[in-house]
Amino acid sequence: MEATAPVITKADTMLRIDGVHKWLGDNHVLKGVDIEVRTGEIVCILGPSGSGKSTLLRCINHLDPVDGGTIEIAGERVGYETRSGHLYEQRERQVAKARQQIGMVFQHFNLFGHMTALENVTYGPAKILGRPRKQVLATARELLAKVGMADRAEAYPSQLSGGQQQRVAIARALAMEPRLMMFDEPTSALDPELVGEVLATMRQVAEEGMTMVVVTHEIGFAREVADRVVFMDQGRVLEDGPAREVLDDPRHERTATFLRRVR
Amino acid sequence: MMTEVHSAGQSQPAALGVGSHYVRRAGDEPAMQEAPLRARHRLGYGQILALIAALVAFGIFVRSQAGNPNMDWNVTGEYLFHPLILNGVAVTIQLAVLAMLISIVLAFGVAVAIQSTNKVASALGRAYVWFFRGVPMLVQVLLWYNLAVLFPTILGRDTNTLISGFTAGLFALSLAESGYMAEIIRGGILSVPAGQTDAGVSLGLTRGQALRRIVLPQSIRVIIPPTGNQFIGMLKATSLVSVIGGSDLLTRAQLIYGQNFKILPLLVVAVLWYLVLVTIASIGQYFLEKRFNNSQPGSRQARKGAGTPGTTTTAIRSMTGGALWKRQRR
Repeated sequence: MEATAPVITKADTMLRIDGVHKWLGDNHVLKGVDIEVRTGEIVCILGPSGSGKSTLLRCINHLDPVDGGTIEIAGERVGYETRSGHLYEQRERQVAKARQQIGMVFQHFNLFGHMTALENVTYGPAKILGRPRKQVLATARELLAKVGMADRAEAYPSQLSGGQQQRVAIARALAMEPRLMMFDEPTSALDPELVGEVLATMRQVAEEGMTMVVVTHEIGFAREVADRVVFMDQGRVLEDGPAREVLDDPRHERTATFLRRVR
Repeated sequence: MMTEVHSAGQSQPAALGVGSHYVRRAGDEPAMQEAPLRARHRLGYGQILALIAALVAFGIFVRSQAGNPNMDWNVTGEYLFHPLILNGVAVTIQLAVLAMLISIVLAFGVAVAIQSTNKVASALGRAYVWFFRGVPMLVQVLLWYNLAVLFPTILGRDTNTLISGFTAGLFALSLAESGYMAEIIRGGILSVPAGQTDAGVSLGLTRGQALRRIVLPQSIRVIIPPTGNQFIGMLKATSLVSVIGGSDLLTRAQLIYGQNFKILPLLVVAVLWYLVLVTIASIGQYFLEKRFNNSQPGSRQARKGAGTPGTTTTAIRSMTGGALWKRQRR
């Protein structure tokens, strides 16, 4: 894929999460989370269920608003703006525009059920970015080929296996040429036999230099592909460091117990 | 690959003992089925008794009414295809179809308003449903017909000439129905998993766009069957218009028996025509449902014959305004 993402001028920080708090009802889900992701970096977030990992991803692209702290993509706040000293939530259209540069891959794929695989991939660039049809079709077919789904381009999601659906979903997100890709437990809903093909596709995306934030339980993937691993528990970051260090020599006791149980 | 070839006919042991380990080899085939199992049904005495009872009851009723002087079958036959009645049937069909179409259009707007994040729109939508679903259709028919009392003129014209029995009935039926349809469409919207909206929004749609372009097309399948039911209800509800002389089927029947006093024979004419209309509508509904269910990608049937889905998608497309490429915006 050609590198059309604009050159980042200021810093090489792609994502900065600073003291983020989030309440869901009475539940304090995120209790002051700080994470920084540099451009091109691949960060895996591990942690037990209910530790707030998925909520954090939803906050990053403002699917859920935060209750405290700031989240910035390439130096710009997502979902909020300051005007004459006051903080405002941005208008829908502005948020939508900001989200275009953040690709999201879901646990349950969420492919559009009334569209073929190809239409799922072309929808964003054609209908949202308004690119010309010919160009969109060509890139979409390229992307489908890349995720190994070229021969199923005309299939509907219901005719595809979970692994195939997830690969199409990755292609759909890539088609928007995002600066940052987020994966929310992309293999958790898959049959064990199908996990490998999705991880292979993600590995491929990683090799092309995409900045990635991956919430996963796949320790093997984290060890092989991630630059850094963040361990979260009960809404807090307990450990954050180079992947192998955190995985092989965890310094926090909770991380160690978790890794021992998962292995 | 299995290289070891087993002599044919040797089959797996009937039961595996504890600790044994069966591995299927090429040539292991289960015993052929010799004859299909045929179990005989026991005679259902209950069914036979019920049938006899029903036949006897029906026979008694027919016998008692066939010779009833008030039940003049010749008159029924005479008026069944009377031009006045046929015209009434046409008006009833028009009324039902138009009211249904108008109510669906209104209901889409109301359902989207209720689901929107705009709190005022949502409250207004709920109020709309509350009122138009809450007031009986018959009362609404009378209300619209007597609008002239409140507004003697509309846009400088006499209200009573502007709003005939037909138009008053059409307004009333459409509005009352739209209250129900809005809830049906809202149910359809809610039946589409929230993940679809999440995915659309993550791609860069606004919530409203995701609702209209991603969720609504997928909710059609859920909306169609109850809409068929509502239409059948609507065919019958048109008879309410007779209270304001809406020139529909029942009005015409009443008009005729008002002159010749053959009340029951003419009501039977109405009964027969309503049954014909409802039967046709039911058959239509059956095919519509079949088309929308079977071909919809995602349904059980579609999985079976994985070959050609998409007819629904085409149907949806023609409903949502053409092919993917046509609606390019901005």
